[in-house]
Amino acid sequence: MLRKVLIANRGEIALRIIRACRELGLATVAVFSDADRAALHVLAADEAWRLGPAAASESYLRGDLILEIARRSGADAIHPGYGFLSENAGFAEACERSGVKFIGPPASAMRALGSKTRARQAADRAGMPRTPGSVTGLASLDEALATAAKIGYPVMLKAAAGGGGKGMRAVAQPADLASAFAAAQSEAERAFGSGEVYLEKLIERPRHIEIQVLADEHGHCVYLGERECSVQRRHQKVIEEAPSAVVGEDLRRRMGEAAVRLALAAGYTNAGTVEFLVDEEQNFYFLEMNTRLQVEHPVTELVTGLDLVHLQIRIAQGERLPFVQSDVVLRGHAIECRVYAEDPDNQFMPSPGRITRLLQPGGPGIREDCGIYEGWVVPMDYDPMLSKLIAFAPTRDLAIDRMLRALDEYVIGGIRTNLNLFRRILRDEDFRDARIDTGYLDRLLQSADGGSAPTAGAARAAIAGAAIFEALQARDGNSAGTNASYSSAPSSAWKAAARNEALHTRR
Amino acid sequence: MKLDLEIEGQSRQVEVVPGDVPGRWQIKIDDTPIEADACLLRPGVLSLIIGGVAHRVVLDADPDEPVLHLGAQRIAWQADDPRSFRRRRRHGAAEGPVTLKASMPGRVIRVLVERGTHVAAHQGVIVIEAMKMQNELKSPKEGRVTELRVAPGDTVASGQVLAVIH
Repeated sequence: MLRKVLIANRGEIALRIIRACRELGLATVAVFSDADRAALHVLAADEAWRLGPAAASESYLRGDLILEIARRSGADAIHPGYGFLSENAGFAEACERSGVKFIGPPASAMRALGSKTRARQAADRAGMPRTPGSVTGLASLDEALATAAKIGYPVMLKAAAGGGGKGMRAVAQPADLASAFAAAQSEAERAFGSGEVYLEKLIERPRHIEIQVLADEHGHCVYLGERECSVQRRHQKVIEEAPSAVVGEDLRRRMGEAAVRLALAAGYTNAGTVEFLVDEEQNFYFLEMNTRLQVEHPVTELVTGLDLVHLQIRIAQGERLPFVQSDVVLRGHAIECRVYAEDPDNQFMPSPGRITRLLQPGGPGIREDCGIYEGWVVPMDYDPMLSKLIAFAPTRDLAIDRMLRALDEYVIGGIRTNLNLFRRILRDEDFRDARIDTGYLDRLLQSADGGSAPTAGAARAAIAGAAIFEALQARDGNSAGTNASYSSAPSSAWKAAARNEALHTRR
Repeated sequence: MKLDLEIEGQSRQVEVVPGDVPGRWQIKIDDTPIEADACLLRPGVLSLIIGGVAHRVVLDADPDEPVLHLGAQRIAWQADDPRSFRRRRRHGAAEGPVTLKASMPGRVIRVLVERGTHVAAHQGVIVIEAMKMQNELKSPKEGRVTELRVAPGDTVASGQVLAVIH
């Protein structure tokens, strides 16, 4: 049995995992960089240890430091969350050597599935459909040209070590292949330290649909239905939902069984996700396997009624899966919006900074997984995700309307966010009719945003509100909250003295 | 109190007077009188009732521009009053030296020019990185770089002047 879990991550996912540990009666150890001393995961854990400076390479990516903290704090397991060290086979091995349980798959399975070319070979062995193309890195331009000629254009060049759309190039005709090949190679080399590039047939207007799997250490593996993540911008997921509006019982079973075959063939354990592209004729093609908990796992939790982090921990403790495939029943519909600190009006530029106002939604069917609070300064050093807002309802239409209701309750001030983008998508007719594919959002963003001008009543209320804030400011000073500065100058001598004292007593 | 309010680009003359009952306000918007019942729930969050219609008005202390959140709307505004804490910002004239400002807070990754370099309009000058995203800042006009105020590794705030181009 595990007793104490170190969470090698930050932000909402660290908090999510700490909560699960609490519920299971496990002690928790948080780690933090200098940029995260005031982060919520530090506050929520039983223990918190400093890792290093803000840069991830000097903190959350330092497996050696994390293992040292595990040893000193007496943690017997490490949960890596997603990102950072979660798919690093070397780190999983180092944990094993140190006698600390890595809550995830064994290093061997991560290696077998970590590179996209090796994963394609594993897919072939598991008898799983994949896009036509190469299963090894391309040695030369000549090989690329020959492969492309064989499978037919358009084709897609991809980095074997890739992710997040880097090292990817679509090629429509032979004349464009040489320059795209060189560009993809150098981009992959820069982003991943490996220039290995392979080639596959480009699927037109695909949907991105993925299968959640869960495998225990006794050879049992189940699939927990699918998630549709077709709403993407630059290959980054923006909205995810479960189930997919286009996946019926039969397709779900075929995709699920294929995913389970792949996981079992690779000796996979714990939670994992097999990603597919699905074309307009409902053919599905293996894309890659993510050997970790996914950002969008909550939508699966809501429609299956399962807690994936609980199950991850129980599997890591050596327990058998407490249910079989036929026990997995999907109920209702869940949608997740990834709320980012970015400015949709300014090319989605990152918008780190202090959250000066925060009004969070609630009520029936709303779940918010986040690590933010009013006054928190969103650091510039990490991913700009602020929060995951998830709506659950009996049907897709109701889930969409519930999400729109929650979005109207949500106010994040001080920084720019993509909250309004979700309103636009969720009101869009194509989205509501589930006519989506991975190019859907880019097309929507290119079309003119009709926007919605304030109604006369709202405009009048805005003017009245602004005038009253001005009048309150003139009368009462900053108690109305009108001053932008959080660290405003002390307004009285005793406050100044108290503040001084506090400064001096702090280390 | 009399104010010139600019809301979403429209200028309004507003007079706001506290009523006899605390929380009540007499407001004139371009000579149209309205009565408002306002309750400050906590700093920056106002519950406003006008003619029986309830509104939530949230004042966003955005460092770049004052903004109100009203329902799902994000409304930019400016107040122009000699006693106001928010003075209208005047945008600099287009002639003469122009400054290159950081469009987002972040870290300077590369400086692509030197002091004295002649740059074309839209030529890249400085690369900033934040949240795993790089952004190349381009010269707003043709000219000579007369000042470079940052070096690689520097942390910059949004709106900070990075270079001056004559």
